[in-house]
Amino acid sequence: MNGVEIRGLCKSYGKIKAVDGLDLTVGSGQVFGLLGPNGSGKTTTIKLLLGLIKPDSGDALVLGRSISKGIELERVGYMPQETALYEELTVHENLKLFGGIFGMKKRALEEREEEVLRIVDLKGRRDSLLSELSGGQRHRISLAVALLHSPDILFLDEPTVGVDPPLRVSFWKTFHDLKRKGVTIIMTTHYLDEARKCDNIGLMRSGKLISKGSPGRIMKDTGTDNLEDAFLKLASARSPGVIA
Amino acid sequence: MKGLRFLMVTKKIFWNFRHDKRSLALMLLAPILSMMVFGIAFSGDMEDVKVVIVNLDQGYRTPVFNQSVKISQSVISNMDRDVLDISYSSSIEDGLKGVEDGTYYSLIIFPENFTMNIMAYKSAMASGNVTAIMGTTEHSTVSIRSDQAEVSVVSEVNRLVMQAIAETMEQGGFDVPIDVDASDPVYGEGATFIDMFIPGIMGFTIFLLTTTLSLITFVGERTQGTLYRLMATPITEGEIILGYALAFSILGMAQVALLIAIAVLVFDVMVVGNLLLTFLIGSMLGMVSVSLGILLSSLARRESQAIQFYPLIVMPTFLLAGIFWPLESIPAYLRPLSYGIPVTYAIKGLRSVMVRGWGVAEIWPQLLALTLFATAFLLGAVLTLKMERRRA
Repeated sequence: MNGVEIRGLCKSYGKIKAVDGLDLTVGSGQVFGLLGPNGSGKTTTIKLLLGLIKPDSGDALVLGRSISKGIELERVGYMPQETALYEELTVHENLKLFGGIFGMKKRALEEREEEVLRIVDLKGRRDSLLSELSGGQRHRISLAVALLHSPDILFLDEPTVGVDPPLRVSFWKTFHDLKRKGVTIIMTTHYLDEARKCDNIGLMRSGKLISKGSPGRIMKDTGTDNLEDAFLKLASARSPGVIA
Repeated sequence: MKGLRFLMVTKKIFWNFRHDKRSLALMLLAPILSMMVFGIAFSGDMEDVKVVIVNLDQGYRTPVFNQSVKISQSVISNMDRDVLDISYSSSIEDGLKGVEDGTYYSLIIFPENFTMNIMAYKSAMASGNVTAIMGTTEHSTVSIRSDQAEVSVVSEVNRLVMQAIAETMEQGGFDVPIDVDASDPVYGEGATFIDMFIPGIMGFTIFLLTTTLSLITFVGERTQGTLYRLMATPITEGEIILGYALAFSILGMAQVALLIAIAVLVFDVMVVGNLLLTFLIGSMLGMVSVSLGILLSSLARRESQAIQFYPLIVMPTFLLAGIFWPLESIPAYLRPLSYGIPVTYAIKGLRSVMVRGWGVAEIWPQLLALTLFATAFLLGAVLTLKMERRRA
């Protein structure tokens, strides 16, 4: 079973087509990167897949379940772009809240809490209020919450923004460890250098997928040696003279 | 120019209004609404105060013309019908039952010898018979048995009865003292304005704090993105609302407990009825208020917009829910609005339990109204969350 299968997905806000006829398949246990400039439709795509917003047309399957009928959210981990956690609660309370919602038992929750805090390197801040943490640290806690219930598929919206380089390396190690365990990871990023670490990527522009495939394949097809040049070449080929 | 840089700030505020017409509309409409509601509520006289009269007066037959005269009838016809909504009963027992079950505020009793004694007093006065004068005073008394839970209504009834007696005496050219005995109320013996006022302020405080807090908190859930994060978990919209409702209904009970403790210890307020019932009303009002707060939060995109709902929540409740004055003193055409405010029922319920000592058998209409409000608002709140997905 594929992690995600998207067929003709469309979503508009007024006259703006945020997602415009998206077709995409992400195999199970893949790390897939959705790339593109701000406003290209990456976040809207993730929200559509999670059922947070309803599509105007088209459908998608997440772990075999249609988004129109409701996906299995118990098997899904989501890290939004903004921290989206309770600043007036401690790190531990935030983790306990979301663990409880996912039906985790006390013992399992305690073990996983320690594990995810180790992954994000914030074990010492368990009892700190979220509001006392720096922006980067909050972002790391947000990832910890997404990983807490050991989901089968992870949607990560800009997971490495505000994360310093050494920790970013550690994050990528975690993502590849999860991939080895069969977890499908779909992430958005506009760090094109980072996208090279994905198994496959999709380049988005103005709501459309302008290219998809492995990073090496895309660079080869465009005759470039980095993804930034590949993206610029693809974008100008689609709409000459206009690069978002 | 450097000195005029502040104008940019002013312009920025008006630019903001251009994009946020709702704020501008509220800034302009809320004061008008407040003034209208205040003006109308304060200008109203008391109306439709239901009383029942038991007239046992046998009258007096004039010796010369053999005509029957009942002075009680003149007193009754002089009672202000704009304020009093008068019914009649043939027995004191039936009249009392009407007050006990809340149909009437007061039972007004004219004794058997009402006219006879006035006439006797008059003739005794004319003849200077002191013994006869002393003997009649006991019978020239109109008794009023009231539900003193609404102190201001009862004061008005007493005042109008006395005024009707005075007018009748003046019209008949009598100079006879008649007592009005209101010393034996049906409910609320010894009740003062504070006893009526405290249940009102309890209901208002719970409603105001809970609605405001849940409104601001829920707008925060939206602006911080936590609501969407919750929606990406297995928790349903109904469970989110239920979680909030439960928390605030527990808080409602705690608020009632605290307020009653202060009311009793500091203000020496009477609590005749079952305390558990007051907690129940408090928790139900908490539930109604939290769901209203969540409903309103769907209309605000930011905390600053949410605060603009404050006058809309506060003013109508403050003026129309019967906190300070009874519903009867609110103009009749505004009263349907009072019945559309959930706090009205909570206050009536709290007052009935605390001052009248009523139980579920008597306050079920208020409990039912609060249940209906809670159900409607909770379902509405769930619906707004479900619509959030379509709107986003």
